[in-house]
Amino acid sequence: MTSEPIVTATDLHRRYGEGDAAVDALDGVSVAFERGGFAAIMGPSGSGKSTLMHTLAGLDRPTSGSVMVDGIELADLDEDELTDLRRDKLGFIFQFFNLLPVLTAEENIVLPLSIAGRDPDPEWLNQLIEVVGLGDRRTHRPAELSGGQQQRVAVARALVSRPAVVFADEPTGNLDSTASAEVLRLLRQAVDEFGQTVVMVTHEPHAAAYADRLVVLRDGKVSHDGQAGDEGQVLELMKDAG
Amino acid sequence: MRKLILRGLAERRSRLAGVVLAVFLGVSLVAGSLVFTDTINASFDKLFERSLKGSDVVVTPREVVRQDTDEPPPFSDKLLTRVRRTDGVEAASGAIFAVVRLVDSKNENLGAGFAPNFVSSTVPKRFDPLTYTDGRAPRNGTETAIDSGTAERSGLKLGDSIGVAGDRSVQRYRVVGINEIDGTSFGGSSSATLTLPAAQRVAGREGKFDQLLIAGDDGVSAEALQARLSKVLPRSVRVETASQNAARETDEINEDFLGVLRTVLLVFGGVVTVVAAFLIFNTFSITVAQRIREFGLLRTLGASRRQILYAVVGESLAIAVVGSLAGLVGGVGAAIGLRTLFKAIGIDLPSSGTVFEPRTVVVALLVGLLVTVIASLVPALRATRVTPMAALLEAELPEARKRGKALPVITVILAAGGLALLLIGLFGGSTGGAAAGLMGGGAAAILFAVSLYSPKLVKPLAGVIGKPIERLRGLPGRLARENATRKPGRTAVTAAALMIGVALVTFVTVFASGISSSLANSIQKGVKADLIVQNSDGFSPVPAELPAEVARVRGVAETSSFGRVKAKVSGDKSKGQYVSGVQPTTLGRMFKLDFEQGSAAALRNMTDRQMMVRKSYAKDHGIDAGDTVTTLGANGRRARFRVVGVYEDEANVLSPLIVTMRAQVRDFGDRRVVGTYATVTRGADSGVVEDRVDSLLKKRYPSAEVFDQQGLQDEQESQVMPVLGLFYGLLALAIVVSLFGIANTLSLSIHERTRELGMLRAIGLSRRQQKRMIRYESVITALIGTVLGMALGVAFAALVSQPLEEDGFVLSYPILQLVVILILAALAGVLAAISPARRAAKLKVLEAVSYE
Repeated sequence: MTSEPIVTATDLHRRYGEGDAAVDALDGVSVAFERGGFAAIMGPSGSGKSTLMHTLAGLDRPTSGSVMVDGIELADLDEDELTDLRRDKLGFIFQFFNLLPVLTAEENIVLPLSIAGRDPDPEWLNQLIEVVGLGDRRTHRPAELSGGQQQRVAVARALVSRPAVVFADEPTGNLDSTASAEVLRLLRQAVDEFGQTVVMVTHEPHAAAYADRLVVLRDGKVSHDGQAGDEGQVLELMKDAG
Repeated sequence: MRKLILRGLAERRSRLAGVVLAVFLGVSLVAGSLVFTDTINASFDKLFERSLKGSDVVVTPREVVRQDTDEPPPFSDKLLTRVRRTDGVEAASGAIFAVVRLVDSKNENLGAGFAPNFVSSTVPKRFDPLTYTDGRAPRNGTETAIDSGTAERSGLKLGDSIGVAGDRSVQRYRVVGINEIDGTSFGGSSSATLTLPAAQRVAGREGKFDQLLIAGDDGVSAEALQARLSKVLPRSVRVETASQNAARETDEINEDFLGVLRTVLLVFGGVVTVVAAFLIFNTFSITVAQRIREFGLLRTLGASRRQILYAVVGESLAIAVVGSLAGLVGGVGAAIGLRTLFKAIGIDLPSSGTVFEPRTVVVALLVGLLVTVIASLVPALRATRVTPMAALLEAELPEARKRGKALPVITVILAAGGLALLLIGLFGGSTGGAAAGLMGGGAAAILFAVSLYSPKLVKPLAGVIGKPIERLRGLPGRLARENATRKPGRTAVTAAALMIGVALVTFVTVFASGISSSLANSIQKGVKADLIVQNSDGFSPVPAELPAEVARVRGVAETSSFGRVKAKVSGDKSKGQYVSGVQPTTLGRMFKLDFEQGSAAALRNMTDRQMMVRKSYAKDHGIDAGDTVTTLGANGRRARFRVVGVYEDEANVLSPLIVTMRAQVRDFGDRRVVGTYATVTRGADSGVVEDRVDSLLKKRYPSAEVFDQQGLQDEQESQVMPVLGLFYGLLALAIVVSLFGIANTLSLSIHERTRELGMLRAIGLSRRQQKRMIRYESVITALIGTVLGMALGVAFAALVSQPLEEDGFVLSYPILQLVVILILAALAGVLAAISPARRAAKLKVLEAVSYE
């Protein structure tokens, strides 16, 4: 594990609305995520954790401040270039599984590559499908899969293009505890075995405990940035923050 | 609840705009058809009424057999003396009113398109309906006055020369006046006024009149005068008051032409309305499905099923009112559009002032309201089945499971019933309107059956159509195909709306191509003559002196002329049947005739008391050689003919019954010729001879044209084109509505898939790819409808042409045109996707992914 950052945010501000009704979702956030690390972003509702992730992922533009992803300044990119960046350098996992119901599990997994018009590396694909444990589900449609299986498909989809960083937005928010644990173990495995960088937004302390590092946001500011520790330690941290 | 309806409408107004537009277009066309035909009707009525200004009673020939042209045989001028001697007649005058061809100084047509040209004679001032805007009435045989519309169209001024091609070679006159009938319109018709002797001569009616205009003494009512005159005049003329005459003339136009026109236009209006109904049904089905939680919530809060029903139907009612009222106003625009369309294909009808009958309002509103409400009823009923639980679960709408069993039965019954109606209409022996009604009803039922069955066809068709797109376009193509088959019912209804329009377009196209190839076939097979001379309109008579002059052209070996009259025939229930007077000795050298009974020799030796009958007519009416046929001519004369042969004329030019030309003159009172066929002398270049005939016609007979066989074929084909253009124009509207349907369905589906689209964009689908995906979905939907419609259209054409085969109809498949339709449909799909794709592109990725 190196300390070289792959995602760097510097003095990020994000303001919604104007005048008296204006809300500062991000109020001077500076944070860096190192390559090959598993970071969790936590914080109470309205703390700005989702906004931070959307801004880092190029889905939302900051009012001011800079975001660098893998050496690229996002502010310099236009809409189309941002789209290409998301396609080629980022992976996404959402709370609601967001699979295409019309495609099979395998087709959903290779979707980012299909969009780019590239063929998957079959060896990597097989390995990935093996890892997420969907070897016998390749040709099933999402409707034929359980919630946990669907989210594992989403994890595989996020990893398939070996992105610079995977952003996970509440990946376990809609799962029971067994399925949650499976998904989190997978993310951990991706970091440990494939050297993947993962940034996860969550509000569940037990989920954060899988991460190496914990960033806690409060009122649009970073209130904690350090080791994640186990679930108990996270809970303590959150208490302090809240 | 009312508040809820209005709020809901406001909320979804952009998505419901398509529905309003569809209702609007359907109602517009229905209202427009009525306004258009009512306006023409009123214009003719006004024209007829005003042209009889100053007359109390009018005498016209009585038509024993209703003729196609507006020209019953004229009557003797001796009747005028008899009228003048009648007690109570203050003044009377005879007039000529004849269909001719008016040409300019270069012998080019003055009239517009297909509109007829007339000459009329000057009448004494008290009867004269004309007012002169410039110059004066003609005073001698070299002068004429023309109507102001024609003067305007052609730029003719006083002192210019015009020609009148009537019953003799073109006669020239100097324009000394421009006139009009106040407040009326002639449409595209042209009219020239001549002095009475000049008019009689040019029309070939020396010593005859077409009309007597009569004014009574003061104190003698028109009715009393009519009664008196009826007693002294023969039965061969009709004695009417001026208003009776005008009313009858209008009625006849209604019966012959306007009625048919109105029906045809309303059928097209109906088609557009049905297509609109599909769109309405689909839109409501989708919006109801999307609002399932809302309905669930309402039910939880205590709303009854009835209230839910009212909410949905109330919404459709509001749309219906807005769309229908707008459509009513749009009807005036549609009427103008129809007039322009007709003008464009050469039919410029009189129009003075727009006529908006109360009946139009009632019909248009009823159509709009009923169609909308009925189309929304099924979705509304489905909404009532939503349980309160639906508010809590993200449930799919109960896809009408109960319908599942009944539906196939209904489909089969509809299809079978439709086919039965179609077949009865085709082969059941009914004629005209009844047969057309049966066939139309049958076709409609089959179309409905197919659209009910079509959800099952969506998947395989999308597979076939989508494969090449997928191969070429990768992921967007793949997703487009999958999305199109996601809700097969929805795609099916959307495609079915287009299917109707395409089926009709295909039917018309295939049928028109059949007509073309049949014409080619029949001319090639059946005509032996080298040159064919006929009126340039294809059916009217040629001048009486023309055949003899053609025969004298250098290089013409032989000619054979024939006429065509309408007569009542014993054993024939129709109002009138065509009889051709022919020159028996030469006929066989111009046409290839086969004789089922009798022989070529029997034809050559046919006497004036003998007749030959076309094979199909003989078969239908059970006539054999040796039978006697009795006819009643337009001149009121009865004649008996002995059948000496049954012939087959591949060219399909001659009438079902043929007699000698002398018999035509003697027994039917008509010496006019409609066709002169000629052979050229051996060794002569027929092209050169054709040029010689052509220059003769150009110089002396501008109403006639000469063709070789190929030219005749081209000419006949070109006469089908205007009607084809009209049908295409009207069907285009139905197709436009179905495109709105595609756009609407897509927009609604995209709205449903917001989150999915957001995810795709988040993981790197570009805007362009997203647009492409939506476009292909639209193209696939459009092509499904097109393929189904085309198959049905071809099948209908094949079926309907069956009974026509014995009349020489040859079905042919215009592959090229069908391919063009397919390509156009794909392009139409692209077009329909523009707005939904644009809306999808505006979708904010962030909002979409965080959208629940």
